[in-house]
Amino acid sequence: MKLLEYNAHALFSEFGLPSLKGFVADSVAEVKRKVGAYAPDASLSFPLVVKAQVQTGGRGKAGGIRFANTSDELEIEASRVLGMSINGLTVKKIFVTEKVDVKREMYLSVALDRKERSPVIVFCADGGMEINDIADRFPEKVVKIHLRGETEIKPFMVQYLLDKSGLDSSYKDRLTKIISSLLALFFGKNAMLVEINPLVVTTADELFCLDGKIDIDDNALYKFDDIRVVRDEMETNPLILEARKWDFLYIPVVENGDIAVISNGSGMLMSSIDLISKKGFEVHSVLDLGGGATAERIKEAVRIVLSEKKIRLLFVNIFGGITRCDEIAKGIEGSWDQVRSKKLVLRLEGTNKDAGAKIMRDLNPEIYLADDLVDGVDRIVKEMGR
Amino acid sequence: MSFLVDKSTRLIIQGITGREGTFHCRQMLDYGTNVVAGVTPGKRGAVVEGVPVYNTVREAIEKHDANASVLFVPPKFLYDGAYEAISSGLPLVITISEGTPVLDMYRLYHLAKSKGVRLIGPNSFGIISPGKAKAGFMAHRIFSEGPVGVMSRSATNAYETVFMLTRKGIGQSTVVGVGGDMIPGSAFIDMLPYFEADEQTKVIVMIGEIGGSEEERAAEYIAAHIKKPVIALIAGKNAPKERSMGHAGAIISPNGEGGAALKEEALSAVGVRIAESTSQIPSLVESILRGK
Repeated sequence: MKLLEYNAHALFSEFGLPSLKGFVADSVAEVKRKVGAYAPDASLSFPLVVKAQVQTGGRGKAGGIRFANTSDELEIEASRVLGMSINGLTVKKIFVTEKVDVKREMYLSVALDRKERSPVIVFCADGGMEINDIADRFPEKVVKIHLRGETEIKPFMVQYLLDKSGLDSSYKDRLTKIISSLLALFFGKNAMLVEINPLVVTTADELFCLDGKIDIDDNALYKFDDIRVVRDEMETNPLILEARKWDFLYIPVVENGDIAVISNGSGMLMSSIDLISKKGFEVHSVLDLGGGATAERIKEAVRIVLSEKKIRLLFVNIFGGITRCDEIAKGIEGSWDQVRSKKLVLRLEGTNKDAGAKIMRDLNPEIYLADDLVDGVDRIVKEMGR
Repeated sequence: MSFLVDKSTRLIIQGITGREGTFHCRQMLDYGTNVVAGVTPGKRGAVVEGVPVYNTVREAIEKHDANASVLFVPPKFLYDGAYEAISSGLPLVITISEGTPVLDMYRLYHLAKSKGVRLIGPNSFGIISPGKAKAGFMAHRIFSEGPVGVMSRSATNAYETVFMLTRKGIGQSTVVGVGGDMIPGSAFIDMLPYFEADEQTKVIVMIGEIGGSEEERAAEYIAAHIKKPVIALIAGKNAPKERSMGHAGAIISPNGEGGAALKEEALSAVGVRIAESTSQIPSLVESILRGK
């Protein structure tokens, strides 16, 4: 999951990286209150910066980063930024922070390189724009070092970065410290991306993290209660949230679609969407049960997808390995009151198929049991045409 | 022939005393797999489905000369379990858990590589050589012995394909789930040499999906090293952008990278036949087999 900037700064601080201090607010009233709280001990002094907290780039260009020299200006800028729309996202939170005097902007990140199956440290002595733009314009300036099983920085890596980037070697110790903390954060919080852009040299010649992006591995969120809370706060789709509680993945596909698909695997879901779309119908949403779902959980899955009123047809498409078809059938049986008002196409194959088919036939001999995926999709076409 | 698992496999099940471990122990035994031992820390002395249980992989190897392990453990225990299997010297370690943190896989991948261990998965159904043995949780009823080698990122798409092949009377040599995660222990390019070397395999079926560049890299490898005919399917053409489709690895980035079109282009440029859906694969296989 991608964190917002202020979450990133909090993690930077936690791992000893010099980063922005400030506060988050979701209303002008809160800004007033918090500036008041800060003002007496002068821990946050003007000029201040108001930064829109949205998960998208180009905030500066869109007017989402503004400066204030007085409390009056701060209120005006805060009210301007709160509620504005950047790349289609509404700004619900702002981060108010001190202005930093910058001498030079650089780029530093640790990212997961899937191709190399390794994290890669990326450094550029010129930063401040999106890394893709830097790489397009000055490919020779972007220096990369892959980790090959390591989880911490080694002296040769920093030396290589300095030599290739052309950054003065007087920064060696400071850069080592920054990268070392960044890697501790990357591995400590199971990140897939930690980016400092820009990493600045201040007029006092210190290195400082002025803006940050962090993407945490969803598969590791079980370790971090606080980050899970942040994730759920950011999610606006109630069905995604509800599905999460049961450890399902609910994915909206086409807003105006009227078909829902439940399956026991990501691959089967993708194939189902592909085939249904090819026939000219639209899938509203899909739900991935994952492997080994029990009857009780399947009942919940059905309830979640059918709570969207647009759904006219439910396609349950199971090819069970670790998932057992009799569990699926019991789950559908348990939610029959809800299912019977919709069109249903069912496909059960794999582990305990016969037991599952029997439960369905006993429940209602009219239920259509598809032979395979194509037969299931053909049946959907027929049902939707009625 | 076939490869990786067969009649010579002496398999350990890590996590044998859990619900899934026990269930699939029975399934694997029924299929004829030589399951020699189980490992669950703290359960030494237990017997599951006639299979003796130990606390450590090392003791299971000492007592039973095991040469492979399959792990039926929850994702948060996968790292420790797989680390133990790899460092105990087993040449083949199969991980199936869904939801493993990617940095755990980074560490395991490099550990396995440095020790020359073949690591399969995670988020995989395992491996099966039909008629010989299986190590994983696939519903084996649908498999049959024959000339088609299959490797897949998705379990369900592999099942669908195998099901249709078998129904058409076309069997499989070895079927491998490389898994749907961002860092697989073995990717398509790691499996291609096995299929090329295996005498039983006459056609290779590769079931890919959106996300990453495994298929593009496979295309490069195929152009340089693979003489056998290859058929590929890329699932997820109509998936919404920037949303992970359930497999951590199946996600299209905003600039279109990882999309199906680029993958299909790269593969067909090197002579790979592209299937539009799983249902087209059997007829493509049939036409290749008949053409020979």
